[in-house]
Amino acid sequence: MSEALRPPLRIALIGNPNTGKTSLFNTLTGLRQRVGNYSGVTVEKKTGIWQMPQSGQEVELIDLPGTYSLSANSLDERVAVDVMTGHGLAGRAPDLVVVVVDVENLRRNLFLASQASELGVPMVIALNCWDVAEKKGLQIDSKLLAQRLGVPVVPTVAKRKSGTIDLGKAVEQALHTKPLMARPQWPKAVQTALKSLRDALVETHGESLRDGELQRLLFDRNSAVRDRLQSPSATHDPIIRAAREQLYKDGFQPDAAESTLRYRFLNPLLNDVLERQALMKKRSTSESIDQLLLHKFWGLLVFVGMMYVVFQSVYSWAGPAMDLIEGVVGWLQGIAAGALVGTPMLQSLVVDGIIGGVGAFLVFLPQILVLFFFIALLEATGYMARAAFLMDKCFQWCGLNGKSFVPLLTSFACAIPGIMATRTINDNKARLITILVAPLMSCSARLPVYLLLIGAFIEPVYGPSVAGTALFAMHFVGALVAAPLAWLLHRSIDKGRAPMPFVMELPRYRVPQLKLVLLRMYESGKEFVVRAGTVIFAMTIVIWALLYFPRPESIAADTRTQFISQITEGRLSSQEGKASLDESQQAELDAQIAARYLEQSYMGRFGKMVQPIFAPAGYDWKITVGVLASFPAREIIISTLGIIYALGDEVDENSSDLRTTLSNAKWDAGPRQGEPVFNIPVALSIMIFFALCMQCGATLAVIAKELNGWWSAGSFCALTLLAWVAAVAVYQIGMLF
Amino acid sequence: MRLDEIQRGGFFQVKNLDCCNECVQRLMSMGLLPDQEIRLVHEAPLGDPIAVEFNGCQISLRLRDAAHVEVEAIR
Repeated sequence: MSEALRPPLRIALIGNPNTGKTSLFNTLTGLRQRVGNYSGVTVEKKTGIWQMPQSGQEVELIDLPGTYSLSANSLDERVAVDVMTGHGLAGRAPDLVVVVVDVENLRRNLFLASQASELGVPMVIALNCWDVAEKKGLQIDSKLLAQRLGVPVVPTVAKRKSGTIDLGKAVEQALHTKPLMARPQWPKAVQTALKSLRDALVETHGESLRDGELQRLLFDRNSAVRDRLQSPSATHDPIIRAAREQLYKDGFQPDAAESTLRYRFLNPLLNDVLERQALMKKRSTSESIDQLLLHKFWGLLVFVGMMYVVFQSVYSWAGPAMDLIEGVVGWLQGIAAGALVGTPMLQSLVVDGIIGGVGAFLVFLPQILVLFFFIALLEATGYMARAAFLMDKCFQWCGLNGKSFVPLLTSFACAIPGIMATRTINDNKARLITILVAPLMSCSARLPVYLLLIGAFIEPVYGPSVAGTALFAMHFVGALVAAPLAWLLHRSIDKGRAPMPFVMELPRYRVPQLKLVLLRMYESGKEFVVRAGTVIFAMTIVIWALLYFPRPESIAADTRTQFISQITEGRLSSQEGKASLDESQQAELDAQIAARYLEQSYMGRFGKMVQPIFAPAGYDWKITVGVLASFPAREIIISTLGIIYALGDEVDENSSDLRTTLSNAKWDAGPRQGEPVFNIPVALSIMIFFALCMQCGATLAVIAKELNGWWSAGSFCALTLLAWVAAVAVYQIGMLF
Repeated sequence: MRLDEIQRGGFFQVKNLDCCNECVQRLMSMGLLPDQEIRLVHEAPLGDPIAVEFNGCQISLRLRDAAHVEVEAIR
C-alpha cells in the first residue's frame, strides 16, 4: 500500500454478476488486496494494487459488487453507483473504469457499460470468458466492437492470465487518452426532461450532478443518487416528479424508457460483431445438468443430500482442528499461568479472561472455515443460485426469498458471517427479517451446551440413540421457531409494501478454481477472527472482572480455616493452621475457595438477586449466574458452570467430572433444599433457553452495524423474553410427568 | 397469454410488458423487451418460481411477477 504524495490512480472494476469479475480481480492483484467497508454502508469494499505491465506504475483497483444495472435496488448496487459517481470514494470518481463483459451475454453486459459511460469516466472493456465462447462457436469481432464503441476492447480469460497483460497495456494507454464510450442520442422528449432537471437542480439549487446522475434521477423510481442530493426531499421530489410526468406526456413511460432506448442504441452496434448459432434451439450442458438438479423429486433429493454432507463435514472435519486449538489454548494457559504465578490477579485475567475467553471463541474457527469452503465451492460452481431457486417457495410465505437461504445456512455455523451474507438480498424487508431470525439458527457455540446437558442427563437415562436424536432435534428447534417469527415480522413491518421481485440469474455451471475457493475461505476466516474477536475480547474481560471482583483476602482465609477444621474434625491434633494437606485435599480446598469468591463476586450477587426470575424455569442461583455470564457468548456457560460447581475452570463439555457434579448438585437453600438441582426438565429448559436466547455480544454488535442499535436492542429483548417463556413452559410441562 | 401460463417445450415472443412492476423493470434492463424470444426452462418443485431463457441467459422469477408479461406462442 504505497502512500505516495500524489494519491494513486483509481480504477474501478464493474460488471454483471457471474462474469468472472472477481476472478479477474484476483488475477490482476494477486494477494495484494484488502477488504474494508464503504463508509456508511456495510457492503464489502475490495481494493487491490495492480501493477501496470509497461511502466510498472501501481494503481488502486476497486472491485465493485456485481450488478445488472445502475438503477440501484440492492445495497450492493447502490455502492456501485456511489463509487462510480465519486460518493463512495470521498468525492473522487475513479480515473478509469474497466467494464468486465461476459461474451455470452454481450448485449445485456453492454447495457451496464452504456449506463456507466454516461457518468463521463474513461472506459476499457474486458471481454471475459473468451475461451468458453470460442468453444461454443461464438465469434466476436473485438476490433470492430472497439471501433464502434470508441473504447478499447480486450479479450481476456481471467483464470489463465491470458489477456491480462494486454488489458494492462490498454488501461495504461487509456489513462492518457481517456477514451469515452459512445453514448446514445436521446430523443427530444428525454433531452427536454433532462434539461428541466438540470435547470432546476443544478442551476437553481446548486447540486453538482453529471449527466449520468440526472438520467438516474429521471429514469429510476428510487435512485441511490436521490440520497446524495444536498437539497431536502421536499424540494427535489416535486422537481423529479414533474420531469418524469413531462416525459410521460411526451410519450415515454419513464420506467421503460431507458431500457427501450438504450437497447435500441446498442442493437445496431452489435450487428456483425457477434456470430452465434441459434441458441434457442440447442440445449446447453448447464440445462441438461439442471434437468436433474432442478427436478421436482431428484433435485430436492440431491439438495437434501448435499446439505447433509455439508453439515456432517462441518462437525466431523472440524473436530481434530478444534481439539488442536483447545490443546494449544490449554498449553498457552499453562505457560501464562506459570509465568504470572507471582501476580494472581494478572494471572487470572490473562489465563481465565483473555486466553480462556478468546480461546473458547477461536475454537469455532475450523467449523467456520469448513462451512465457508463448501459455500464458496457451491457458489463457484453456480449451484447456490439453484439452491435459492429450489427453496424460494418455502421462504415466500414468511416474507423471505430464496436468497435468504445462504445466510441462514451460514448461521448454522455462526450468525456473524450469516448476517454479513445478507447484503446480497435486494429486498430490504426480506434482508431485515433474515438478519433478525438468523441468530435463531443453531450456531456451533450452542453445541457444547447441548453436548454437556444431553450427555449428563439424557444419555444415561435413555441411551445413545435417543441422545443422538435429541442433539439433532435441538438443532432444528431454533429454525422451527424462526419460521412463525419471520411470518409475524413480515406481517407487522411495513405491511403495505409489496415485496421486491425475486429475479435471479441461473448462471451456467463452471468448474470451480480451488485457489479462489481457498481465498474466499481465508477471507471469511480472517474477517470472523478480526471483527468478532475484538468484541469477544472486550466482553470476556468485562465478564471476567464481574466474576473476579470484589476479592477480599479474608474469604480465602476463612474458607481455609473452615476446611481444615472440617477434615480434622474430632481429631485434636490439628497441628495449627498449616496442616499438611495432600494434593487432592489441596485441590478441593482451592476449588471451594474459588466457589466462595464466585458466590460473592458482583456476578454471583447479581445471580442470586435475579434467580427468582429464573425460578419458574427450575434454575438455582448457580445456573442463573451461568446463564447471565454467557450473555456475551454462549460457550462461556461451560467454564462458568465449571467454576461455580467448584471444579476449577479447567473443564470442557466432555469432562465427566462436570457431568457427575451436575448430576449430584443439590439445592443449597430454599424449600427444595437437598433435592437435586438438575433433572431432565431442567436440562431441557436450559437447552431451550440457549437455543432461543440471543446470548452473543458479537452478533448483537453485527446487527447494530448492519441495521442499527435499536434493532439490535429490540431483537435482544424479544429473543430473551421468548427464550425465558419457552424455558419456563418446557420446565413446567416437563414437571407434570 | 401470460408468461406465468406458458408450458415447457414451446417458444414464445414477448408482446407487452407492464413496466410499472418492479420485477418487469429489472427484466427489461436485462433485455426482456417486446419481440424478444423467450421459453420456459425449469419449474421449481412446487411450480413456483420458474426459470425462463431469453437472450442466452436463464433467469428465475416468481409466477406472480411473470403474470405481468404478455407473450405469444411462435412455434
